Amino acid sequence: MGYPLIFFHAFIGEIGLFAYLWVLVEMLNPTEIRIMRAKTAATIGVICLFVAWIAGGFYYVDVYGSAVKPAIKASDAKWVHSIVMETKEHVFLFLPPLAILTTSLITRFGKQLIDNKTARKTIILLAGLIFLLGFSIAGMGAIIASGYRFALEVGLV
Amino acid sequence: MNPKALIRSTTVVIALIAVFTILSEQFSVVKNFFALFGHHWIGKSVLALLVFGALYLLLSKSDENLDDNSIWWLIGTVVLSGLAIAGFYTWHFI
Repeated sequence: MGYPLIFFHAFIGEIGLFAYLWVLVEMLNPTEIRIMRAKTAATIGVICLFVAWIAGGFYYVDVYGSAVKPAIKASDAKWVHSIVMETKEHVFLFLPPLAILTTSLITRFGKQLIDNKTARKTIILLAGLIFLLGFSIAGMGAIIASGYRFALEVGLV
Repeated sequence: MNPKALIRSTTVVIALIAVFTILSEQFSVVKNFFALFGHHWIGKSVLALLVFGALYLLLSKSDENLDDNSIWWLIGTVVLSGLAIAGFYTWHFI
């Protein structure tokens, strides 16, 4: 049986990541209206990533630790928890500060982004970094789900 | 809002998250301290946010002209910190 909270965590996190892809696209050739849209996208992104952070934390403490982790650790795929999950849960902590930073820079520079090439380049690189880092974390989530399925298939639960 | 101070604070906080993570696995006293917040993961998150706020306040009066170097330092720190965490857990597992 699936856990709705983990689905919600992944879904809302990915919405947040696509919001930063949206920011990146708007910043490629900014106009006043595109900057406004980028601000909206970045605000949606930061909210989604914070909600994903809280949902993921609840899932980890309430479900993962008691049901999923013991099954994975008892199987031949124990590396999935020991390496992939441990890396994922800590690298995820990079995302909220990066999201706050990107959103704050768009707010701080506003219309100046049309002429300020350095600020624009900084925001494009940050949005791309969030998107790539976030989806590598989502990939780790998929590996963890596969590890759990493997443990279920070999009858450890 | 000082953009350079924001980027520098973020850079330091990301490096600190990697340091907190590795130290808490190596020394149980550090992990127990983070666990005082309810769970070691919550402890690291709260402390990272507090350090971010304090650093920004400290640096906010400094030069605010954004340069190209700041973002590359941040990207380098994210990549190295991520590799340090993944490398540490791989080494720990082996």
